[in-house]
Amino acid sequence: MRWGMVIDLKRCIGCYGCQLACKAEHGTPPGVYYARVLKDEQGQYPTVSNISLPVLCNHCEDAPCIEACPTGASFKWEDDGIVDIDHDLCVGCRSCMMACPYTNRYFNDQPAHYHQQGATPYEAARTAHHQSNVVMKCNFCRDRVRSGKPPACVANCPTVARIFGDLDDPTSEVSRLIKERGGFTLHPELGTGPSVYYLPA
Amino acid sequence: MTEISAKYEQLVQDLRRDFRPQREWGEGRGLFLVIGHFLVGVAAGAWLFGLIFNYGPGLVAGFILAGGGGIAHLAFLGRPERFWKMVRHVRTAWISRGFIGLTLFLAGAVLYLPPLVLADWPWAANSALGYLGWGMAAAGMVVLIVYMGFVYTASKGIPFWNSPLHPVLYMAYALRGGIAALLVTMALFDAPSPSAASLVTIWIAVTAIVIVLFALEIQGALTGGNPAARRSVREMLAGRMAVYFYGGTLLIGLVVPLALLSGQIAPFGVGVLAAIGLFSALGDFFMKYTTIRAGIYLPLRPRQLRHR
Amino acid sequence: MNMVNVLNKAPRPIDDVWIPSSCSLCYGTCSILAHRVDGVVVKIEGNPESAVGKGRLCGKGVSGIMTHYDPNRLTRPLRRTNPKKGLSEDPRWKEISWDEALDEISAVLRKVRAEDPRKLVVQRTTTVTASRVPFQTFAAAFGTPNFSVSGGGQHCGNGAHLISGMMHASWSIVPDFEYCNYAIYFGASKGHSAGHASCSNMGKAADARARGMKMVVVDPICNFAAAKATEWVPLRVGTDAALALAMCNVMVNELGIYDGPYLQAKTNAPYLIGPDKLYVRHPESKQPLVWDTRSNTARPYTEVAAADMALEGEFTVDGTRCRPSFHCLRDHLCKFTPEWAEEISTIGAATIRRLAKEFGTEARVGSTIVVEGVTLPYRPVAAIAFRGSQGHMNSVYNFYAVDLLNHLVGAADVVGSCLGFNPTCHGHPDTGKLRYIPSAGPDGLMVTGMWMGYHYPYPPSEPRLPTNLGLQDLFVLGMTSPFLDSTDREEMWERFDLPYRPEVMVNFGANLVMSIANKEAVAASLAKYKFMVSFDLFLTETSNFADIVLPDCGYLQSLDSRSNFPFIFSLPAGMGEWCWPIRQPVLPPDGEQRHCADVLLEIADRVGFRADLNAAYNASLNIQAPHRLEGETRYSYAQICDAELKNNFGIERGLDWFKEQGVIKWKKKPEEVYWRPFVDVRVPIYWEFMLPIGAKIAAIAEPRGLKIPMEYYEPLPDFLPCTSHCCQKQDFDFYAFYYRDIVHTNSFTMENPWLDEAARLDPFSYTIAINATEARKKALHDGQLVWVENEVGHKVKGRLKLTEAIHPEGIGIAAMCGHWSDGMPIAKGKGVFFNELLELDWAHVSPVNNNLDLCAKVRVVPVEAVP
Ligand SMILES: Nc1nc2c(c(=O)[nH]1)N[C@H]1C(S)=C(S)[C@@H](COP(=O)(O)OP(=O)(O)OC[C@H]3O[C@@H](n4cnc5c(=O)[nH]c(N)nc54)[C@H](O)[C@@H]3O)O[C@H]1N2
Ligand SMILES: Nc1nc2c(c(=O)[nH]1)N[C@H]1C(S)=C(S)[C@@H](COP(=O)(O)OP(=O)(O)OC[C@H]3O[C@@H](n4cnc5c(=O)[nH]c(N)nc54)[C@H](O)[C@@H]3O)O[C@H]1N2
Ligand code: SF4
Ligand code: SF4
Ligand code: SF4
Ligand code: SF4
Ligand code: SF4
Ligand SMILES: [Mo]
Repeated sequence: MRWGMVIDLKRCIGCYGCQLACKAEHGTPPGVYYARVLKDEQGQYPTVSNISLPVLCNHCEDAPCIEACPTGASFKWEDDGIVDIDHDLCVGCRSCMMACPYTNRYFNDQPAHYHQQGATPYEAARTAHHQSNVVMKCNFCRDRVRSGKPPACVANCPTVARIFGDLDDPTSEVSRLIKERGGFTLHPELGTGPSVYYLPA
Repeated sequence: MTEISAKYEQLVQDLRRDFRPQREWGEGRGLFLVIGHFLVGVAAGAWLFGLIFNYGPGLVAGFILAGGGGIAHLAFLGRPERFWKMVRHVRTAWISRGFIGLTLFLAGAVLYLPPLVLADWPWAANSALGYLGWGMAAAGMVVLIVYMGFVYTASKGIPFWNSPLHPVLYMAYALRGGIAALLVTMALFDAPSPSAASLVTIWIAVTAIVIVLFALEIQGALTGGNPAARRSVREMLAGRMAVYFYGGTLLIGLVVPLALLSGQIAPFGVGVLAAIGLFSALGDFFMKYTTIRAGIYLPLRPRQLRHR
Repeated sequence: MNMVNVLNKAPRPIDDVWIPSSCSLCYGTCSILAHRVDGVVVKIEGNPESAVGKGRLCGKGVSGIMTHYDPNRLTRPLRRTNPKKGLSEDPRWKEISWDEALDEISAVLRKVRAEDPRKLVVQRTTTVTASRVPFQTFAAAFGTPNFSVSGGGQHCGNGAHLISGMMHASWSIVPDFEYCNYAIYFGASKGHSAGHASCSNMGKAADARARGMKMVVVDPICNFAAAKATEWVPLRVGTDAALALAMCNVMVNELGIYDGPYLQAKTNAPYLIGPDKLYVRHPESKQPLVWDTRSNTARPYTEVAAADMALEGEFTVDGTRCRPSFHCLRDHLCKFTPEWAEEISTIGAATIRRLAKEFGTEARVGSTIVVEGVTLPYRPVAAIAFRGSQGHMNSVYNFYAVDLLNHLVGAADVVGSCLGFNPTCHGHPDTGKLRYIPSAGPDGLMVTGMWMGYHYPYPPSEPRLPTNLGLQDLFVLGMTSPFLDSTDREEMWERFDLPYRPEVMVNFGANLVMSIANKEAVAASLAKYKFMVSFDLFLTETSNFADIVLPDCGYLQSLDSRSNFPFIFSLPAGMGEWCWPIRQPVLPPDGEQRHCADVLLEIADRVGFRADLNAAYNASLNIQAPHRLEGETRYSYAQICDAELKNNFGIERGLDWFKEQGVIKWKKKPEEVYWRPFVDVRVPIYWEFMLPIGAKIAAIAEPRGLKIPMEYYEPLPDFLPCTSHCCQKQDFDFYAFYYRDIVHTNSFTMENPWLDEAARLDPFSYTIAINATEARKKALHDGQLVWVENEVGHKVKGRLKLTEAIHPEGIGIAAMCGHWSDGMPIAKGKGVFFNELLELDWAHVSPVNNNLDLCAKVRVVPVEAVP
């Protein structure tokens, strides 16, 4: 099987809910964003349209980040296609950051907390297993997914714009939506084979 | 503001930009990577020319530079204590290959060099051990000369680097660096040295090749249709990196050596040759520094959706 | 830590629970589940069992943990030691004990209550919906009518809530997302970033979009709602009435589209209007007359079948020439040609005609649909409005004009139409409690069944010489008032011989130095209080004016039996479920924090009015025997919550039951949601009552030197310009306005580091949006530091964001940023403080409902250019 995500740009309102739900789920430190929302406008006044594009790791089928990683810290789970990082192996060379054409990797050399006064009890609890001086990124909430829950950003999206499922299963909702609504990926010309698809607005 | 919070502020600003510059390689601790790459490149070149001209001090310089390069690499890593894990992915990762190249090189040099330059060494340079060392170092050297450009070319996220010319360019740098190293060593060591004239000729030739390759690369970036690559060129020629490019790469690395070469500034001699070498090397450093720091990520802005 | 834990590598958490409660990062009050592990909240998710949020939260909601654990939270009572109060005065706080604090507060309150309880002003923030009951009840029991919600109301509600209440029996209006096919938004973001039931509506609006609902957004900036709309219609700030009236005109007079039977049966359209613009009344019963087309006579509206009531025609009744009010409206509308409206709103006449036609056609006047077996009128169009269009001098007419679009085609609280938020509830099936239904009041016009504000929107009370600080007893259509803080308040009070002055303020959270208008004005009024106590989470800009600051519990530490308000506020409208969530503590207080509701009870005990307070609670929570609070019994707030819950849901469903369950819910019936055909009430499309109110106000105010502009008191809406529209000063080329950011709530959330971070990543949150072309004409560039300055010279600094997505005359500023208090270090210095551009005096408020004018004519000057 191969986990994938579909983000419906018609539904998405650019609320940052995914970015923040992800933060809450993983306690990522300042400057590390497994999920982000990009904003841009097209056209000229008054025929202008605003676009929000939520991004996260695409869990590429042919992931350049894995290829570039000298230690094997970046790897793909064979059973579900999730691209993950083994933080015990990572040397912090950041080659993967240069290789990822989607800028979805972050180097964690930040202070591990948001307030000057130090880590909040939440941060202390949630980030206990974080390592510093390694690269971090979205892992499709693998722990949640393995326990049968959808990824945090999917579960929380207030407009139900994010759908999670098996891309290998042609009957799954993700496969069906991609087919019916003309799902597309980012930078397909690079041949990375992203597992995150977008539905046109 | 602490260094780390300054970096965070910068990141937040960068993430709002259409063209986000990469900052992990080349800024802050990332500077050590540029230094490391630079030193290792020069080292391999020095070794090569040391072998060609059979010039011992050149080999020594190569070894020392490579050692320094290795240390700089370690200083760059987020987790230097795990450096040995970098061997694990030779199959796909250029960094792994480079790491192995450097290890081979250093280990080979340790086997080959001491008997060559020191008296009373347990084994001789032309012993089996010495030949093994020679072979390892030579192999390592080739890897070091070749791999570096590929590290950048393999960076799919940064279109400016993602050019087929990059590896060739880096090879040319290694050669230019090697010559430069030899020019400097000649002033330092009182040993019979290769003819200055041939070194200078090679330097001129390699420099010409570097200029052509670099021009081609810039031209490619400008016409290749990738806005991020174009943006990188702009950063270099008219943006954040322009000072380093004009002052470092062009002035220090090209104009000054050429002026020195012309003999107009100072009478020709070992000192001037060394100065040419030094400036040339410094210029190369800035060349790498500017290209690396001018790296701009492929934009992911929603605007892209239009071209779907 | 005990040995077992140390030895055991992965200790099984001793405490690992998901606790149902309610969010409070904005007034939407979505239902949450807080995940607590070993005493630490590690995650907040939506509660899928609840209809409020449906298990999903907005970005603010999921970030609440960081607000809760903010190390800058107050943990001890503080007393100021510097008696001088001012924007740049350091209060020099000293920690004191609760006993000291409460002693001092009680002494002050005891004295004031004995002298004149009206000298007390009680104020709360709207952000915490649940604070309404304890604070309003406290004020009522204490005996002061001076209750305020700081910037709330004056910005968002005096028009919106008044008219939503009068016309839809609810706090606010929203499209029936499930069935609506064509919605037009006038300065509202519902379903896209803010508003009531904000998060729930995001899901509903997305469903509607996916279903194909067309959405037209009239807004000076193309942001959240407009970005998702089928069409963005940029207009000049504050000119909504012009557009809406022209659309009404086109619909009625050019296209002849209107819903006759609806107007006959459900509005005062058939009431006869005499030459004095007043109803022609029956001589004895005083009932308004209608023209009975069957008997061709004028008869009281109660005696004629709706279908027989004339909507048009000239009639003579007892020698008086009169016309049905619809006829008056129709004639009145004629002058609002699209060409006229184009001049004012900058929206092309052709566009206006097209929008009117689309709206009128899509309304499908006369059609019906079956919902869950019930045949109902089907009008799948909605015109909605909120803060954006109502926040002006002409607040009332803007909103009134927009809502007329709905009533002309009968698109009011029927399937697919403009809906109030749950105006009718048949009550909980087991107990029958919480039953409320709009009813017919004077002249058959609707009185809401449930209300949460000062006074019911209809019938308005008699204007009288004011004794309220806010003058709401004179300006009876106003709800909250600028005159508590305005620069001319003393002048006003003197003018009306107000017999007392405010001396003491009890404040809950409200950050009024930021939330009303320019800070100097509000600071001056606050500095005048002899004593101010503030319940706070942080040392805000406003708490720095307090004498005593009390450390409140945050939402994860608080108990509230009604975290939301039943049900006209933030329960999503439309079909679905009735849902009553509670809030309960997930974590204990930190340091000496205490929940405000319990503190108020203790203060009442110390001052000595517990009996009054118990009685006030019985009244405000509608607690009936056997659950009524009695005499002077000292109930805890938990006991009061328990009483309310048992009273509403039966003895077995008290606080304990709710702590387990989190919410109670039951299905809505079509007759509740689409109540309009089932409830015999009318709403005014002709505001006859305005004339007498205006006359009475003028009779009181004008002899005292306050000119009342009577054009604001006409029974039919008009476009009246704001002060900003009349500015002729050179270089003042832009209308500054604000809008809500999706990741920020008013001034509150900038202190949350995750939200602050998201806002910094956003191109607009902390910048000043300006039309790119206009900016370039003035040689202004993206990222430039500029001053935005109003005509009076109030100005703010900020960085420009050039965009194509804003009206050429607009300057758009997000949220309520620009904090300067050291007590909120994350928030400090972020973004742009829009309100500095707002003047706070009679000249800048609506003379009808006292809504503040939220647009300012400004110029934009580069910072370097100004010395
Ligand atoms: N520029 C600008 N001005 C505006 C608005 C705007 O969007 N932009 N909005 C306007 C509108 S419509 C409104 S309603 C008003 C709102 O104005 P305010 O009512 O002043 O609301 P907030 O700015 O949200 O401030 C809420 C305060 O309540 C405190 N608070 C939050 N939770 C708790 C709690 O549990 N206990 C206690 N004790 N305190 C708590 C927070 O610390 C915060 O300081 O502002 C109006 N003014
Ligand atoms: N995220 C978030 N949610 C909130 C709040 C919050 O602060 N943040 N606050 C809560 C509160 S207290 C309230 S009152 C509601 C308010 O909810 P809304 O009324 O939706 O709030 P606003 O964004 O202030 O105003 C809506 C729109 O009006 C536009 N506008 C401004 N001036 C004009 C005008 O003259 N004409 C027209 N047609 N449009 C205009 C603005 O650009 C904005 O897009 O939201 C509530 N929910
Ligand atoms: S949470 Fe959903 S609606 Fe919000 S930005 Fe993310 S994908 Fe879009
Ligand atoms: S998106 Fe980037 S990080 Fe994720 S798998 Fe693809 S290349 Fe790797
Ligand atoms: S930073 Fe870590 S994950 Fe990335 S390439 Fe280097 S070792 Fe691999
Ligand atoms: S899948 Fe999980 S880790 Fe990835 S962006 Fe969503 S919440 Fe974050
Ligand atoms: S809409 Fe308001 S109440 Fe609901 S989750 Fe967001 S901040 Fe909380
Ligand atoms: Mo509000």
